[in-house]
Parts: sequence; structure tokens; C-alpha cells
Amino acid sequence: MATKTKTTEKHGANGAHKGPALESAWIRAFKSESEWPDKDEFLDVVYWARQLLGIAIGVLWGLVPLKGFVALVLFALVNAGILYVYCTSFQKVDEEEYGGAWELTKEGFMTSFAGFLVTWIIIYTGLHSDTRLGL
Amino acid sequence: MWADTLLIVFISVCTALLGEGLTWLMVYRTEKYQKLKSEVERQSKRLEKMKEAHGESSLDKQQKKKMDREEERLKQNNRDLSLVKMKSMFAIGFAFTALLSMFNNIFDGRVVARLPFLPISWIQGLSHRNLPGDDYYDCSFIFLYILCTMSIRQNTQKILGFAPSRTATKQSGIFGTNPQPYK
Repeated sequence: MATKTKTTEKHGANGAHKGPALESAWIRAFKSESEWPDKDEFLDVVYWARQLLGIAIGVLWGLVPLKGFVALVLFALVNAGILYVYCTSFQKVDEEEYGGAWELTKEGFMTSFAGFLVTWIIIYTGLHSDTRLGL
Repeated sequence: MWADTLLIVFISVCTALLGEGLTWLMVYRTEKYQKLKSEVERQSKRLEKMKEAHGESSLDKQQKKKMDREEERLKQNNRDLSLVKMKSMFAIGFAFTALLSMFNNIFDGRVVARLPFLPISWIQGLSHRNLPGDDYYDCSFIFLYILCTMSIRQNTQKILGFAPSRTATKQSGIFGTNPQPYK
């Protein structure tokens, strides 16, 4: 979260935001309709939320287990969908300010996809793969 | 097999940390890099603000000239920055290629994981590299290693604060042909 801290510090040093001091980004991330004067900070929240979500979906898909192309498509839909709902309905940010919904959707998506694949493969291999391969 | 899978994740974490550590030693901590980086950040921010303040159409000749000049300076600084990075990146690249080929030899012909999906044909060459048989659900070392690196390396860079800032990336247009600042 170094980037987060850095941006907050910079923001504080510039004094760009006037008025009451803002709570930490952690608290604001879980609070509905928070104020995000620093766009980078919100994009960081989206980035890390996406990484955590990718890992969580990977674990879930591995435990069930979900297999095949359907699981990959489902990951993309769930990942993009949840974050989209978070941005537009929970935080109610104006997506146009961030360059449109696409910019928010692709923020950290590939890294999250790689993280998802790794956790999915690990859990699936550990729990459901054929034991003869373990020899 | 699971032990191999976890070992590869561990190897990937170690190489990512080692890579970042070496880059820090050779690049990030140098004064030249830090100076250039802060310069690029500053200029990117300024350029973004300028673009934000005036729409492209409402610019008069003088403002446009000033903006062009700023853009040119930013490009030059970006070039210098990549040059500073390049030498050590080459050295690290060579070291890691050697390391990778060593791991490749160790895991040669070993199925390290079972894929829960059938990879598309042009990925099968990677996911089934040097593996016996034609069960394409078997996963080779290199495929899992690349996936781990993709996710771990970038996150490590971001946690350590070494990832390039979004403004600089957008303004320099590294990942897009037409950099578009926030509106």
C-alpha cells in the first residue's frame, strides 16, 4: 500500500483539499459514498480490491471445483461486475471522471486474472487432481 | 505434485523479491534515477493540469507552443529514465535467464500441477512444454512460473512503491497510443 500512503502524503503536503481532514483510505474504502479528492487513491483501492477478489474467486472455484472455459468467463463477469457495482452503487463515483467505466474495469484486471489462475490451479491441484500424478 | 506447485510459488516470490532488490541496488536508490523520476512525475502532473484547464480547441498559439515544449521535455526525460534503467535491466535479465534455465532443468518433464481448464492451442505449447504424453491438462513448470510472476512481481512493485505512477504512464503513453488524462 506504499502508493496509497505516498499519494495521501502528497495530497496532504499540497493542501489541495480544504476542509475537515479525511479519514484513512482504508476506512473510506468500506464506507458508502466516500469522498475521493485524489483519484489515484481510489484507483489504488479498486486495484487492491480486485487482487483480493481474484484470489478469493480462485479459492472458491478451486474448492467447488468449477472447471473449464465457463469458470474463466464466470471469473471475468464476477470480477468486473462486483467492482463495477462497488464503484457506481456503493461509492457512487462519477465514472466519467476516471475516463469511463472501461478504465475502472481494466484497473489491475490482468494481475488479478493471473492471481486468480494461480490460486485456482493450486487449490484444484491439491484437492481434486488425480493421485497417480503425484507419483 | 502439490509440493512442486507450492515450491514454484515460493521460487516466484523469491525471484520477484530478488529482482526488485537488485533493481533497487542498481537503479532505484541512485540519485540520478530519483531526480529524473521526480522530474517526470512533476512534469506529467503539470501537463495533465494544463490539459485539464484548457480544452484542446480553446488553446491559443502561445499556450499550444508552451504545451508542446513541455511535452518534448517530458519525452526527453522519459528517454533518459529508460536509459538509466536499461543497463541494469540487461544485467538482471541475463542473471534471471540463467536462473530460469536452471529451474527448467530441475523440473524438466515433471508435471507440476493439474489445470482445471483446457488451454487454447497456442498456449498449450507453453503449458505442456517438455512434458511426456498428450494430456493437455498437465501443467509444466514454465507456465505456472509465468503466471506466478505476472501476479507476484507487479504486486510486489506496487507494495514497495516502485511501480511507475499512473499519471506518468498515461502522459508518456507507454501502454496506450493516445494517452488520455482524467477528465
